[in-house]
This record gives sequence, structure tokens and C-alpha cells, in this order.
Amino acid sequence: MSRRIAIVEDEAAIRENYADVLRKQGYEVQTYSNRQDAMSAFDLRLPNLAIIDIGLESEIDGGFTLCQALRSLSDTLPIIFLTARDNDFDTVSGLRMGADDYLTKDISLPHLSARIAALFRRSEVIDQPTFPENLVARGQLRLDIGRLTVQWKEEAVPLTVTEFWMIHALAKFTGHVKSRQILMQESKIFVDGSTITSHIKRIRKKFMQVDSEFDCIETVYGMGYRWNLEPE
Amino acid sequence: MKFLFKKLFGIRFKLVFLSSFLLVIPWLGYLYILEMEEYLQLGQEQTVLGTAQALATALNERPELFNEGSYSPARRAEDLYVYPIFSALELDDGSLVDWGAYQQYEVSYDSQNYLRTSLNPARHYLNDDSVSFKNMVGEYDGSLYAYFKVYDDKIIYRDREALSVHRSDFLQITMLDIDGSGITKYVIAPYGPEPIYPFEVEDDYSNPAFEGRITGLWYETSTGYDIELQIPMQMLGDRLGFTIFDVDDLIERSVSTVVATYKVADAERLGSLRLPTPEIDRIVAGMNHNNSRIQVVDFSGRVLLTVGDIQSATGLQLAKATSDNERNEYWEFLQNQILSPLYDRFLVQPSNDFIDELYSDVTREGEHINSALMGAPLTQFRTLTDTQTRILGAAYPIFSEGDVMGAVVVDQNMNGLRTFRNQALEQLFNTMLAVMLIIALGLFFFASRISSRIRFLRNQAEGIIDEVGRVKNTIIPSKSSDELGDLSRSFSSIVERLTQYTNYLENMSSRLSHELRTPVTVVRSSLENLGLNETNEGSKVYLERAEEGISRLNLILTHMSEATRLEQMLQTSEKERIELREVVNGCVEGYKLAYTSNVFETDFPQYPIYITGVPEYIAQLLDKLVANAVEFSREQQPIKVYCRTLRDHAILKVSNAGPFLPEEMKERIFDSMISVRSQERQKQPHLGMGLHIARLITEFHGGQIRAENRKDREGVIITVVIPLYYD
Repeated sequence: MSRRIAIVEDEAAIRENYADVLRKQGYEVQTYSNRQDAMSAFDLRLPNLAIIDIGLESEIDGGFTLCQALRSLSDTLPIIFLTARDNDFDTVSGLRMGADDYLTKDISLPHLSARIAALFRRSEVIDQPTFPENLVARGQLRLDIGRLTVQWKEEAVPLTVTEFWMIHALAKFTGHVKSRQILMQESKIFVDGSTITSHIKRIRKKFMQVDSEFDCIETVYGMGYRWNLEPE
Repeated sequence: MKFLFKKLFGIRFKLVFLSSFLLVIPWLGYLYILEMEEYLQLGQEQTVLGTAQALATALNERPELFNEGSYSPARRAEDLYVYPIFSALELDDGSLVDWGAYQQYEVSYDSQNYLRTSLNPARHYLNDDSVSFKNMVGEYDGSLYAYFKVYDDKIIYRDREALSVHRSDFLQITMLDIDGSGITKYVIAPYGPEPIYPFEVEDDYSNPAFEGRITGLWYETSTGYDIELQIPMQMLGDRLGFTIFDVDDLIERSVSTVVATYKVADAERLGSLRLPTPEIDRIVAGMNHNNSRIQVVDFSGRVLLTVGDIQSATGLQLAKATSDNERNEYWEFLQNQILSPLYDRFLVQPSNDFIDELYSDVTREGEHINSALMGAPLTQFRTLTDTQTRILGAAYPIFSEGDVMGAVVVDQNMNGLRTFRNQALEQLFNTMLAVMLIIALGLFFFASRISSRIRFLRNQAEGIIDEVGRVKNTIIPSKSSDELGDLSRSFSSIVERLTQYTNYLENMSSRLSHELRTPVTVVRSSLENLGLNETNEGSKVYLERAEEGISRLNLILTHMSEATRLEQMLQTSEKERIELREVVNGCVEGYKLAYTSNVFETDFPQYPIYITGVPEYIAQLLDKLVANAVEFSREQQPIKVYCRTLRDHAILKVSNAGPFLPEEMKERIFDSMISVRSQERQKQPHLGMGLHIARLITEFHGGQIRAENRKDREGVIITVVIPLYYD
């Protein structure tokens, strides 16, 4: 059974381009141009993954509303925001609505499909036992590359796929400075430096919600970021 | 200097200056009052002349009023005034009551009028005061009436047995004969109080002969005796004298004292009979209720009578001073301490304490009198030199049968008018001072209000746009309905529209990038789709090129919206205490790795520099400055990064050797989408956002950024000044 992906996007050309690519990769793709159509379809049957634009036809924030509604229908359904809006405020809002990732339309199609694949894999392996070869441990940090999950001091840190890939890039070689450029490549996004800065900020906040003492990501001014192992 | 000049001649000054033209009003008032004074003077002149004329008219054609007395040489002490009497007198009633008001004309004679005669060859000084008398002479119905109030301590009557008439108290009447040839003596020496029984006597008092035409009564009083008598006018010549002989020794009966109305008993020296002019007196007295001094002079300029005195002859009745309960203490103080001394400086306050030297003599002179005596009425002003008092005199001739008999002279001092004028002027000045003070204050406040509103508006207008021309503030539209309010409102709406336009411009890149992103996405996703399907090697080249172009376009869009995104992030960022030197040092270490072809020189202090800020943004700021410096730097020339504190600010400088900045670009390079790069330098897309972002971050930290050419003209320094951390 092929996985079903719903694309809610009011721009027909973009919608169909994404749909074509995903179909070629074997997904079953349903496209909707507005929130009402999407909701009536989702009421009948939920997709396995939803890609939503924020601005939908006449509704400026229709995507947010749709995300909230979907999240209320399913807690596990992966939701990706794919939007032209690249400001911090919208990013924070979108992720707070329960979206699994927030991507700007700069993202290339291969990067997008990689992310979709990753998300599917994460939802697939959620019930399966962990493979030891997928585990990366750095001090109190535990990364599960297969499930794309992060644990800090035995507690799960809820990170998006993008954020996970950033942590992975930082923690793979602790003590090495990773420039913003590298972080961008690793997390398969294409943004400017200040977006990376806000991503790092969000990641720090998430860790600090788990452990207020968290201080492993160091900013190296002018160069980038570095994962420091916490002192023993 | 020019600025001061401008300040001095602001609206306030101009309005106050213009209002100084109001000073013309009190000046006009002053002129008006002077004019009025002149009119009043003229009026007073007319009044005075009118009074003189009225009096003169009343005295016209009545030569008898000037009779005799006024035609003879001046009166001597021995002259007797004969007052006309208008009612019959009772001679035998034993009282002076019937003389009534005529008694006021009585003349006293005492030891001063002592007379030596053949009867008292030696003066008895001891007894000088033993006798005196008062005498009054009148004329009624062709007879001369006289009374004598004799004060005598001891009355000695004539012995009934004696023949001689001169050995007791007696009255002697000495008169020039009617033809003027000789002197006749009459003696009245009674036996006791009785109707008089006069005798004509020889010089030595012999041969007394009864003279029945002289009648009268001798009666005693508590102080002596009174004699009333009547002499027919036919008996009388021009001259007449009365003598009281006093005998105090009943046994010896020699005359001890003689008091007479004359000095020497001869035809020439006997007192003359004069008819005074109580008629004039009456007429003049009737006019005396006006405030003037009235004098009647005869044609030789001698004063016949004077009514009133010049000191109180002010001519005008002045308004009474305000009653006590209407007085205001403060006003009085103001009036007495400030205003009055001020007014006294230029108003002559008249004084009634003066002496009219012209009037001190019996005779009067003066142009007006001379003129009147020539027959022409004239008024004249004189100023008394000592007190500056002005005196108005009017003289009007009195005619009789075509001849000038004399003149009426009416004098008034001008003090009343002067006082009146001064009061009017003071009142005027008080009012004017008050009015002008109010007007000046009003204008001043009005002007201050206007100019302060204009200044407020100007300050607002100046504050709208900063030195690089960006709209920073708005104008709060005024609610007032006048022109300034209109101006404020229209300014406000202009600024509002300007703000909208500026916002539009500032956000254009952001919105443009946002709007472009969708079509770019369409193109890119389509190209990627095409690339997935295309297997033709020839086409792949073009696809790659197209994708490369798209990613550059994407980069441009990202840069375009970078500033807007940063601004949004700045709004939610929290500042903290950071160590600037450490951040800058870290950054420079990074740049040394990143820009391998450039040399970096650092100049940092030994001490830490604490500022309030966000380290990531400071790093981003430095990124932009260094990227800019690297780009413009000449090969192998060092890029200098300098960091210090200066007073309460941190100074951060990035300098590079390279082309210097055109003067006009110094401020503008920090604006959005401004770049001074020449075309050939554009290896990669530049939107001129770098320094704009640098400025956004600097301003977020409360600092300033500026670009200068190096003094050696070999490069550019960009200086960032940020306030130090303040606990």
C-alpha cells in the first residue's frame, strides 16, 4: 500500500509540480487548493502526511487553522508547512501549531523528498526496537538516527527533522566548529545565516525546557557553532 | 550673531513693537487735554471779563459812586467818610440800635489821636488812656448824622452855675465855613445826660452862642457816654473835625486829655468830608460768590475796594476728593509711591502759597488796567516768578457820560484750572497705563502662545525626519481650529502620507521578494521536475544553467528580505550584558579563517568592554562590516579592527585601504538598497543591504554608525558607537 500525501497549496503550478515529483517516487498524492476542500476530504480519510501552505486563497492564515484541525484529528500525522513566508514569527507559530517541520519554498525538491522520507521513516520505526548501530551517544545526548529522535539526560527532546539534522551535524564531531553554511547543508535547507541563528536558538530553548542547565551548544562568533561535551 | 538677531526680532518682539504705536493714544490724549485747557482758559478769560463787564455795567453812569473821595487826593487819616444812610434814625431813643449795620463803618480814635490844644498845653501822658471814642458819620435826607461812643472813666458835667463851656467833658465840632473863609467851633457841654445844647464859641471858648440847628442827645452808658447828633448839610463846608475834651478833676476842672479826628485845627489840615461808596461795595459784594477777587480802581489806578483774595480765587470749583471708604490701600500706595512722583516730574503742581506783588500796594498797575482806563477792556495772564502760578486778570472800564471813571479789575489764579488739568492728565495716564499694560501683556501672551505653537510645530517638523531623511516621528495634529491648527493638521497628513510612502519603499524589497518567491518556486520546481525526467545530455547543460540562475535569484530574494526579517527578530530580542571585546575577537579569528587572502590587524584594549546587547547581532554587524571591508580592500592591505571605550561609549572601528567614499554617500550608504560598488566589482549579487543591516543592529543597541574616509585618503573607516553597559 502506497503512502498517501495531501498537498494543500493554492498555487496550481507549484502544487502540481510537487505532486508530480512525489507521485514519481511512488506516493499517492491528493491535492487541494483551499482549506474547505482539504478539510472535507480529511474528514473522510486522513492522509499519511500533509504538506500545507499557510496562505490559502482568501485565507491568510488558512494553513494554521488547517494544521490545528488536522492535529486535533491525529496526534501522529506528520505535517509539513511549505510556505513562502520565511519570517521568524510565522516559523515559531507554525511549529507551535504542532507541525513537524517548517520549510520555505526555497527548498529544492530532492531536499523536500528526503525530508518526507525521513518523516515517514520516523513514524514507521516508532514502534520498532532501536537498532544499536543507529544510536549516537555524546555525553548525556542520545541521537537515534533511524527514528530521528533526541534524548537528553534520558528525556526526549521534541525536535523537528531540520533541527535533528542540525544537532546531528553538531554532535557528530563534538568540539568542532560547524559554520552556518555546513549546518545548512547538513539540514538540507537553504536559508540565510540569521535563520540558522534562530534555529539554534529554538534548539537551545527546547533543550532548556528539558534541562534548564543545558549549555552544550556554544556560539563561536564569526565562525559558527560547536557542541561541547558537558564537564564530567 | 545672525541667529541672535533673528531671535530678537521674533513674532513676540514684532507684536510688542507694533503695539508700541499705541503710545500715540496717550499722546493724543495729552494733546487733547492741553487743547481743552486752552479752551477752558479761554472760557475762564471770558468769564472773568464777563464778570468785570457785568460789574462795570452796574457801575456805569453812576459818577456819584466815585464822588469826591475818589476825585480828591488820597485820603488822609483825618478825613471823614460820610456813609449814605437809607433809613431815618431816632436821635432821642438813647441807644445806637437804630444805626444797625452802619456801625461797622465806625472809626476808633484813641491816644494815638491825642491833640494838643490851648486848653491842655502840657501832655498828661498818665491820663492818655482815660478817654477814647468811636465815631461814625452818615448822611440822610440832607443832614449829617454822627454818633460818638465815648469811653470815659469819669464823666464831669458842666457846673450849672458856670458860664464857661470848656470846664467839663465836652464835644467840640470844628468845621470850615461853607464859603471856606474861616473855621467855626461848636461846643456841646451838657449839664448831665440831656438833649444837646450846642454853642458856637470863639477860639478861646468865650461868648458861647446857642446854635439850634445842631440837635441830638447825650446819654450815659456803662463805659462812658454816647452822643448822637444831626447837623444840616447846609451848615457844613468841605472840612470837618470832632474833638472830645476830657476833664477828670471835679474841683480844678482843667482839661486833662483831648482826642480828635484831626491833627491840626486849621482850614487846610482839617479832615475833609468824604463820601465813600458803599454802593459799589454792595454791588460788588453781590457778585462775590464767584471765585474771583474783584477790585474797583478809579481812573488814577487807586484801589477803591477789594473783595475776595487772590489765593482762594481759583475760578473753578474742583471735584471733591473721594470719600475714605472708597479708597483702596494698594491703589493709594501705587498712586502715592509710584505714579505721583512720576507725574510730578513733568506736571507743575500749582501752589496757593504765593504773594501777588502787584497787589501789595494800594495802587494797581498793569497792562490790562492801563488799557481799561484808556477805555478798552483787556484780559491778561501773568506768571508769578517764584511759584509759577499763573494769574488771569481782566479789567473793564466804567463809563460815565462818555468818560472813563475807573475800572473793574477781576483776578483769578489759574491754579484751579491747572489742578483740573493735572487731575485730568493723571486720570488719563492712569487709565492709559492700565489699558496699555493690559494690551501689551495680552499681546505678549498672545504672541508667546503663537510663537511657542509655531516653535512646537517647527520642532515637531524637524523631528520628523532624521539627518539621513528617514521619517522617524509623526506630528500630533493640533485640535485648534485656527490657521496654525490647520497647518499642523496638514503637516500631520503630509507626514502620514510620507510615512506610508516610506514604509512602502522600505518594505518593497521584502514584499517584492515575497511576491517573487512563488513564481520562482514554480520555475524551480518545474525545472527540477524537468531535470528528473530529462535524460538528454545536451538539454541537461541548459537545465543546470537555469537552475544555477534560479538559485542566484533565490539568493537575491533571501538577501532582499534579510533586513525585514532582522527587524522582526530585533523586536522580539532580549538584550543582555555582553563583553564586546571577546565577541569581536572571536569574530576576527573566524574571519582570519574565512578570508584567507586578507590580513587582519586588531587593536583591542587590555580591559573588558561591557555593553548591553545580543552577541549574535553584534557578530552579524561585524560580519557585514568586515565583508564590506574585505570587498573594498586592496590586495595584501590589512583590514584593521579597533575597539576601545571613550567615556561612556564603546567604539568599534573597521578600516580598510581602498577607494574612498564620495562625500554625498557618507550617510546614504547605510540606507536600504544603496551600493557604491562599480559594475565590474559585482561578482555576485549585491543589493546594498549589508550596511543597512549594520545600521539596524547599531540602532537596536542604541548606538550610531558612520562612515569616514581615512585621513590619509587611502581608505574608509566605519565607526560604530554603542553605549556601555550601565548597571
